[in-house]
Amino acid sequence: MAFLRLLLAQLRCLLSDKGAVLLLLGAPLLYGFFYPWFYATEVVQRVPVALVVQDSSALSRQLLRFAQASPRIDPQLVTADEDQARQALLRGEVMGYALIPSDFKRDLLRARNLTVPVYANGAYPLASKQVQYGFAEAFGTVSAGVELRRLQAGGQSALQASASRAPLQLQPLALFNPTEGYGSFVVSAVAILILQQTLLMGGALFVGTLREQGHAGGGVRLWLARLLALCLPGWLAGLFYMGWIFIWQGYPHGANPLGALAMLAVFVPAVAGCAALIGWALADRERALQVLLFTSLPLVFVAGFTWPAEGLPPALQWLRWLAPSTAGIQASLRLNQMGASVAQVAPLLAWLGGLTLAGWTAVLWLGRGSSAAARAR
Amino acid sequence: MSILWASLRREGARLRASGADLAMLTWVPLLAMALLCWIFSAGQPQRLPIALWNEDPGTALSRQLERMLQASPGLELRAPVLNRAEAQAALQSMAVYAVVHIPPDMARDVKQGRSASITLLHNAQLATASSLVQRDVRQVVGTLSAGIEMQAAAKRGTPGQALYARMEPIKTQLVALFNVSTNYELFLAAALMPALVHILAMTAGAWSVGRELRERTLGDWLGAPPVGLGPIFAALVGKLLIACLSLWACTMAALLYLAQLRGWAVAGSMAWIGLALALLVAVSLAAGAALSGLTLSLRTALSGAGFFSAPAFAFCGVAYPLLAMSPGARTWAEAMPYTHYARLQLEQWLMGAPLAQSLPTIAALGLATLVLLAAASAGLARGLRQPQRWGGR
Repeated sequence: MAFLRLLLAQLRCLLSDKGAVLLLLGAPLLYGFFYPWFYATEVVQRVPVALVVQDSSALSRQLLRFAQASPRIDPQLVTADEDQARQALLRGEVMGYALIPSDFKRDLLRARNLTVPVYANGAYPLASKQVQYGFAEAFGTVSAGVELRRLQAGGQSALQASASRAPLQLQPLALFNPTEGYGSFVVSAVAILILQQTLLMGGALFVGTLREQGHAGGGVRLWLARLLALCLPGWLAGLFYMGWIFIWQGYPHGANPLGALAMLAVFVPAVAGCAALIGWALADRERALQVLLFTSLPLVFVAGFTWPAEGLPPALQWLRWLAPSTAGIQASLRLNQMGASVAQVAPLLAWLGGLTLAGWTAVLWLGRGSSAAARAR
Repeated sequence: MSILWASLRREGARLRASGADLAMLTWVPLLAMALLCWIFSAGQPQRLPIALWNEDPGTALSRQLERMLQASPGLELRAPVLNRAEAQAALQSMAVYAVVHIPPDMARDVKQGRSASITLLHNAQLATASSLVQRDVRQVVGTLSAGIEMQAAAKRGTPGQALYARMEPIKTQLVALFNVSTNYELFLAAALMPALVHILAMTAGAWSVGRELRERTLGDWLGAPPVGLGPIFAALVGKLLIACLSLWACTMAALLYLAQLRGWAVAGSMAWIGLALALLVAVSLAAGAALSGLTLSLRTALSGAGFFSAPAFAFCGVAYPLLAMSPGARTWAEAMPYTHYARLQLEQWLMGAPLAQSLPTIAALGLATLVLLAAASAGLARGLRQPQRWGGR
């Protein structure tokens, strides 16, 4: 009961610090609406492209029609002059173009091997992929029609012809993020990093202020209460993302809600421990913001969702686990989006628990002196 | 000029006195950029784990598919899965990025002239890995299928010469311009380093001006009021100059490392990129200073700097194209300086676009720097008259 009173007092102390509240509660709230805004459309569609047509047959008109019908691309420029298309590409007006050479139909009738080059702007991978797939699908359909007619002309039935055209077919089936949305892919993982960074900065600011003002000691019980007080806004923000933002944005969510709660239960204390240690080391109210702001950028790319961990240098594959966000994102994706069981993520949760234990022990050890001793120093 | 020089010397003395502040302008940026280079040093992730779910075991065709998947450098076959539950568990625990399902009787169907459908169950939640795996598996299955088709056609007596043309009358040849190997080291590391310096510079601008407020030394720095806007502007330029040079030099060193030592040739002009980078650093420092000058609080200014600069890379159009964003989001993205710098760097580094094309970007970054410095000066002039607000935390 006395500890509860101590906890409530520390919570009041935390909540009366406007700077800490802004970072611990204001920032996650703001980012929850801000970040998904940019990816609200989820997929890149109707990417502007050009079509260079140097052949004036019905076949090239058919290729153009199929390209126009593709949801992936939008032929905004049709010209016979390749240079014009190239200039439009350099100016960024189109993201790619296809070139239908002259005498296209004549060569096809002679059963020659015809190639339609598709040039896509590789500097923009997501748009470039749509340009390539869009043209490949549109032209592939026309090509298949020509091939089927030839096979049937050779005496095969329509069914036989279609099978001998492609004896083995690959059907990709997207799991867990069935619409393959970009926001679903990025924000559901980045959300965990936002939780970590805001709690780190808010917590380090709070503890840094205490240290700066000479209230750093105070004993184990007091520091336990402070760490718990730091966890509460973190848990609240976590529930806000998993229980509202994911649903509101239509991201895959809630596959294993109890597991997700278990993940939050160990992830937030691990971050709170790091926040207190950083605040302790810096012993300055604003320094934590200065030092931590840029760290989110490298942390995104070692977390293993946007950049596969297999692509990291071996040493980094180990070092990346020192940040709670790595295990947090990995566990959250498995639990919130993929519906893994708690047993399947047990090693990740145990690791977060280990980080919590190590961090909290260090903080309690540092703050073990009585407040009288702290004042005397 | 003397005001500028005095302010520069004062800032130099402050930096010498504070190791942490100096570190944030020198070795911390260098270390962070080295980390980014290290992250992407492999260029392209290889050996992404997948599993095979073979319901047509023991046939030559499925063994051939397995061998070909194994041989693909982008893929690594892990322990096979035997049923739907095992496939699901392997995917859910992220032990593999995808499961290749071979249907029962695949070999028999193909032999009898029917087509068989191989399913690739891939984890679309991890989009990068999933698209790399899709590309490689598609290639393997396509090669295998084309081989079968050619054998069948040859058996039917189609002359070998006519085979290629007949198989796929219209081929689409996909050419990725400007980033031919789709290498991520070039693409991501080169774009991320300016994004990093954008954050660091905005933080540094907010920090160096905000610190004078926090420590109630605004009067020592700018003199007793009334001080005209001109002298404040000059003092501000002097104050930010060291940070500007140092952060620019760190980033240039990192970009030159990629261009020279890692061999990512610059198609356009490196000097032009260097000029734009200097302006990006300047505009970021000015924006940070303006945040401090207008809010008169170091803490609020730093929070604001984080809000504007930390997600700049995510919204700049390199990862998710601007043309796909909603009008409001796109307007926001286009109001951010990093968006324009990122486009310029891509145009110059990868595309070799004419210099004239990025001239408006250079001019706009320069103009924005002046406007933000003016805003910061105005804010500081107001702050100078309100000493009771100094020292706010």
